[in-house]
Amino acid sequence: MMTNFDQIRKEAKAKGAKRLVVAPVTAATDLSTLSAAMADGLVFPILVGDGKAASSWLGREKIPAAHLEVIDEPDGGKALALAIDMVKKGAAEILMRGDMAPGPFLGTVLDREKGLLKERVASVVSVFDPSAVNQVTMATDTYVNSFPTIAEKVTITENVIKLAGVLGFASPKIAALSAIEQVNPAIPSTMDAAILSKMAERRQFGDVTLEGPLDIDCAVSRRAADRKGVHSAVTGRGDIYLMPNVEAAYLMAQLTVFIGKTPMACALMGVSRPVVLNLPFVPVENRATEIDLAVLLCGRL
Amino acid sequence: MIRSFADMDRLASQKGPKRLVVLAPEDEEFMLAVRDSAAKGYTRPVLIGDREKMERLADQVQYDIGSTEKIYEKSRQAIADLGINMLFSGEVDIAGKGQIPTAYIYRAIIREESKAGKGKVVSVISLWDIEGLEHLTCFTDTGVNITPDYRAKAEIVRNAVFLFHLLGYPQPKICVLSGKREINGDIPSYQDCLALKKAAASGELGACEVMEAASFLDIFSPGRKAFRRGDIDIGKADFPHIMLVPNLATGNILVKLDFALKNVRRRSLVMSSRGPVIIPSRSDFRDSILGEIAAGVTVAEQIKGGAAS
Repeated sequence: MMTNFDQIRKEAKAKGAKRLVVAPVTAATDLSTLSAAMADGLVFPILVGDGKAASSWLGREKIPAAHLEVIDEPDGGKALALAIDMVKKGAAEILMRGDMAPGPFLGTVLDREKGLLKERVASVVSVFDPSAVNQVTMATDTYVNSFPTIAEKVTITENVIKLAGVLGFASPKIAALSAIEQVNPAIPSTMDAAILSKMAERRQFGDVTLEGPLDIDCAVSRRAADRKGVHSAVTGRGDIYLMPNVEAAYLMAQLTVFIGKTPMACALMGVSRPVVLNLPFVPVENRATEIDLAVLLCGRL
Repeated sequence: MIRSFADMDRLASQKGPKRLVVLAPEDEEFMLAVRDSAAKGYTRPVLIGDREKMERLADQVQYDIGSTEKIYEKSRQAIADLGINMLFSGEVDIAGKGQIPTAYIYRAIIREESKAGKGKVVSVISLWDIEGLEHLTCFTDTGVNITPDYRAKAEIVRNAVFLFHLLGYPQPKICVLSGKREINGDIPSYQDCLALKKAAASGELGACEVMEAASFLDIFSPGRKAFRRGDIDIGKADFPHIMLVPNLATGNILVKLDFALKNVRRRSLVMSSRGPVIIPSRSDFRDSILGEIAAGVTVAEQIKGGAAS
């Protein structure tokens, strides 16, 4: 299993350069993370969009023209459609969001026909590198689905298990979080967690341990769980936190970043090709890790 | 103004002892915390619970309860009713939850509130003391309302504003937290945020202000511009005093992140119209329970001193 973001970069570098297409590129697109990834030999970029802006960036960064490809398509929507087509056909391996708001970008990317949606739903996994433990941890869905149904939570669970496999977790321990650790019909997320837990017990998710409902204190602290009389293989040592809804997920991820100062990067799952989203709640320092995750996901989705 | 838990601890030892009724101190961590609160001069406890269990535990933690007032009762609901009634009748200044399901205590508070003609929405306020932040902050409601509607949220905000006025903050800032992202439009919690902003501006929520920000990203990076983790400085951020959570699951998960984050401490209480009811989590240990008792003593003292104008 991956111990930290440095190891993720090391593993990604070992994969050799992947063709990464950014769309749409404008003068406002921040390509600094890409320069660093190029320097590390991780990616061969293809910039689709405003050709002049792309060329001036090349000049500023002193990047030889042979080290990447520029495709001139000034219309943002067309640039994105072209880029999606390239990854679908294998002309590129990774898609990265350029200068388009996440709403319209995901609207196109998550279209089942024209886009890259593969599973029932796509979901975002936030990957954390907490200093207190010697491994990365994951929480999901921190962005895409607002209030997922149980059927959608099943897919969200399968999506994160896939990423965990790519990150070397052979048998991940998963905590399905809710407000309390008892099943309470008045709190629907406790019922969802219990269903997922039973499905896991019946091996419907493969080789994983999934426990729920758990409240966060039992999930992160074995001592707290013991005091509450909750005993399981997951308490105090979860690899993955399944969140009850996006309000809890999105805000928890942010609190961990802003108050906990914990490194965090995101991966989009449930799609047929790796997509780097560069979402606004991801710190600039960790955007490189999003490229690393995409590189590791190549051929594994 | 009470800016930190250290301020509370200082005030508790200066202004104590206050009368604290403890509902079922039938666990070692609770009994230790009660013993320490008495020894530090924070409280004069009244213990309600199972005689055999309380005596055994007191003995275990070497707490001489010979001269401590005790009421023997086994029924959980009776313990809750009795203790909360003592708070509302003025016999005690603070009530504290021990080994008893929280729902019983909420039920007892709701009953007493309706008898007193207040009919208040009962909500839990979880204070956070964050390293580097120059004032206290809180999450609410972290315990009672599963999916509060707009009306309930307005009441929850009023309860927290009342507490912050007591703690010496004349115009607390409120962040109505929401999972609103750049996709999927305005979810209900964000619509509540907009409505509460209007309500606050027209004075409906008391002296307070509802901020523009609806997430930590908004607080630390207004306009949601790209930010560097290395540049985050909570001391320089416009950080709220009150954070209204959209639902119970979110509140519980956020507020108990103190188990994972090392720079945060938590103390939870219910502000009833007659005084504080402290609500330690079943997973809390002796020191945090003692801290919650200090918070209760502080609030009781501020009520007595008429700090809420």
